[in-house]
Amino acid sequence: MTMLYVLIKRNCKLFFRDKGLFLSSLISPVILLLLYITFLGNVYKNSFISFLPDGIDLPEKLLDSLTASQLLSSLLSVCTVTVAFCSNSLMIQDKMTGVRRDFDVTPVKKSLFAVGYYVSTALSTLLICLAAVAVGMVYLAISGWYISIPDILLLIFDVFILTMLGTAISSLVNAFISSQGQSTAVMTIVSACYGFICGAYMPVSSFSKTLQKVLSFFPGVYGTSLLRRHSMQGAFEAMKDSGVPQQIISAIQDSVDYNIYVSDKAVPYYLMILIISGCALLIAIFYIFASIFRRKKR
Amino acid sequence: MEKIIKIEHLFKSFGNVKAVNDLSFSVREGELFAFLGVNGAGKSTTISMMCGQLLQDSGKIEICGKDTCASMADIFSRIGVVFQNSVLDPFLTVRENLESRAAMYGISGRKFDSRLNELASLLSFENILGRQFGKLSGGQKRRIDIARALFHNPDILFLDEPTTGLDPQTRKILWDVVTELRRGQNMTVLLTTHYMEEAADADYVVIIDSGRVSAEGTPLELKNRYTGDFVLIYTDDENFVSSLGFPYQRLRDSFRISVPNCAEATRMIVHNQDKFVDYEITKGKMDDVFLSVTGKKLTVGDEK
Repeated sequence: MTMLYVLIKRNCKLFFRDKGLFLSSLISPVILLLLYITFLGNVYKNSFISFLPDGIDLPEKLLDSLTASQLLSSLLSVCTVTVAFCSNSLMIQDKMTGVRRDFDVTPVKKSLFAVGYYVSTALSTLLICLAAVAVGMVYLAISGWYISIPDILLLIFDVFILTMLGTAISSLVNAFISSQGQSTAVMTIVSACYGFICGAYMPVSSFSKTLQKVLSFFPGVYGTSLLRRHSMQGAFEAMKDSGVPQQIISAIQDSVDYNIYVSDKAVPYYLMILIISGCALLIAIFYIFASIFRRKKR
Repeated sequence: MEKIIKIEHLFKSFGNVKAVNDLSFSVREGELFAFLGVNGAGKSTTISMMCGQLLQDSGKIEICGKDTCASMADIFSRIGVVFQNSVLDPFLTVRENLESRAAMYGISGRKFDSRLNELASLLSFENILGRQFGKLSGGQKRRIDIARALFHNPDILFLDEPTTGLDPQTRKILWDVVTELRRGQNMTVLLTTHYMEEAADADYVVIIDSGRVSAEGTPLELKNRYTGDFVLIYTDDENFVSSLGFPYQRLRDSFRISVPNCAEATRMIVHNQDKFVDYEITKGKMDDVFLSVTGKKLTVGDEK
């Protein structure tokens, strides 16, 4: 345990002292949020308005909050993975600079190094994502505060399990990468694709049935759904209180992936958590085995 | 002296390239062992296999009586490696770097402080402990690399081109430390270097070429076997030097005459006593041995 603590401490220190790495990881969620607000804010808002029947006027504040909470959940869903990839670049850097060669001539087990990278990446990713949650809360307070304290806590829990998943995915991918070029290529692909795959940029419900079926195998989709539930729940309740029929609310919820359907059945909340946690654990185990066998060079 | 490293019929290929091709040698305990070869000769591949970073295709490596394929975990705590390039963390201080690496050998707390003071004094880096490693000069970095390799008191120290690009003062510190460790702790040192004067101080030298041993022996044995002697005569009379009938090289204020052996040099001097007023007889250098060996690889192989 002492050795693991030393490794985690070393990795975290390096992440926070490498100003370029730390600041770019920290700033990226804020930039992403600004981009969302600028380019997607009105699209989302108009989409909500289009659902409302004639005769029902919702306060501007509520519509803004609904839009803001959807943007926030999209942001967090993407960040838990992209920030993890950014934080995890230390693993690649260590291979490139030869630090791993130095580690490999010590009696420490290879699996411990793998766990060390995993935990330190998860910690730094979580910290940055929690900072993004804090920024998001300020944004929600400005747009319209309808979120409850239990929902904030559940949102933090979602961020936690999704960080574990993002860290596991980035760790497994980075275990096979050993150059800056490969790392940049992977980061570019992940940044460009992940938002679509997890339903952050466009709701999965807006895709074709076949694509929805394919994406239902991807745990990130359930992550976005969980985040939507906890960030938007307060706003939906306020809509109900304003006299919007439940049928309309359900239609809006389905349109933003509040519910995910597999074979026309809604995936229950507990199952979403199990899918994400299970996948995170499974991928993390794969990663540890991959790290051990990759280091035994032939 | 006991053999602390034994390598038998070692083979390693990368695709069609045979990096190590039936390599066999041994290193005795407490010895300064120089491992020489041009770039790509197979030195680093061999060291990587000895340090457990590469697996051999076939052959056997035994370190401290243990097979590297079966007991590498036990061997790691008995070897220290100074790599060609610094492999410490640039954003951490010297102390933090050594602290994290020492912990990998179970050294922490007071034990760490005590060993740190010992090494800082030995390698003269007491005043840079709080400085960021990445901001140190090349020489300072090298001293910390060596401290890192020595932290757990290894039985064998691998030095992979440790002095390349270093200033003379740091090179001297490094060699003083190595000498002291060998005397005080009977530490075995396996060195690869491009500086032949460093190899000349070794107890035993192995020269490899294309993954095979081209020549081996003590520096004296190699000099006697692969180079002749040289007579350095301080004169400007080139006609006389030329009339001696031996190959020679003109230097700034002298001539370097190559003779087959010391007896021949004596005979030449006795016969020309009036001309040999200011002169010296020297053995061939390790540079000459190296050039001779790598330049006559097939002949040497045939002779062997």
